Amino acid sequence: MITMNPFSLQDKNIIITGASQGIGKQCAIICSELGANVILLARNTERLSAVCNSLKTANHLYFSIDMIQCDQLEPIIQKAVQTVGKITGIIHSAGVEMTLPLRSMKVEHYQNVYAVNSIAGFELARIVSKTKYLNDEGGSFVFIASIMGVLGQMGKVGYCSSKGALIAGVRAMALELAAKKVRVNSISPALVETEMAHKIFEGISDEAKAAILKMHPLGLGKPEDVAYACAFLLSDSSRWMTGSNLVLDGGYSAR
Amino acid sequence: MKTTEFIDILKESLEIDDSEVLEDTDLKSLDNYDSLAILSIIALIDEHFGKKIKGEQFKNISTVKSLMTLIGMDNFDE
Repeated sequence: MITMNPFSLQDKNIIITGASQGIGKQCAIICSELGANVILLARNTERLSAVCNSLKTANHLYFSIDMIQCDQLEPIIQKAVQTVGKITGIIHSAGVEMTLPLRSMKVEHYQNVYAVNSIAGFELARIVSKTKYLNDEGGSFVFIASIMGVLGQMGKVGYCSSKGALIAGVRAMALELAAKKVRVNSISPALVETEMAHKIFEGISDEAKAAILKMHPLGLGKPEDVAYACAFLLSDSSRWMTGSNLVLDGGYSAR
Repeated sequence: MKTTEFIDILKESLEIDDSEVLEDTDLKSLDNYDSLAILSIIALIDEHFGKKIKGEQFKNISTVKSLMTLIGMDNFDE
């Protein structure tokens, strides 16, 4: 008989990047519903405040940061730990989209997309996994990658490679952090109905939109679909899962 | 920017070496003019003119001249 809820996040302290909108915002909502204290990171203070105020009451915090400026991360994490205690989990949801053909790519394009999508996530993991910040019982790190990190798409060399880097990095981190009882996993969604997706759709023809929709047998995803998967990976119910990439794509990659 | 200079940049972006491209050339007649080409053109317009053009605006683009008009003819010298 189960006497405790293995899916509970009660009293877990979870840092979420990209928390002001889209997937990150929904992750914050779901995690707080499941009992977590969430530490929200994003650039827009107004949006962060609004998200924080909408959460189920607990010890929530928010900090405004541009994830490109990784040197600002550790002071924030230090303050969070001083306020709510050591960190149990992270969700790296901050990310930028880039659609540009290979022939138009310049070095700075790669640097910009890798800075937020990949390097910021690795830096967050590096800092939070320090003994002085990490919960003594270990924790769970979740990286929001993309099905584009597994499959290819024309015009997406920057974006695909940045998400592929996350998926590969997760495996290395999982092995390295197992001794600290930290599990590390990624989630690879297909197209989720967010502001970022809306912007992508704005710039393309109706035929292209229809083609994209057709490639998702179960239709487009919703932010809560990804948030529920994050909650699973952050909870004790996924105790034996690490170094994995959870494909969450409505059947996109099944063909 | 001179019109000839713009056409050279356009040709490089579309990887056209041999064909003559003039102001009245129909872009859709060019071999390499596809959705990726449009993305490349959007990128070069942003880089050289600081203007953000959306893909859907290319529905009405036919000739090089119409592309220049979209960018703004005040951006071009003779």
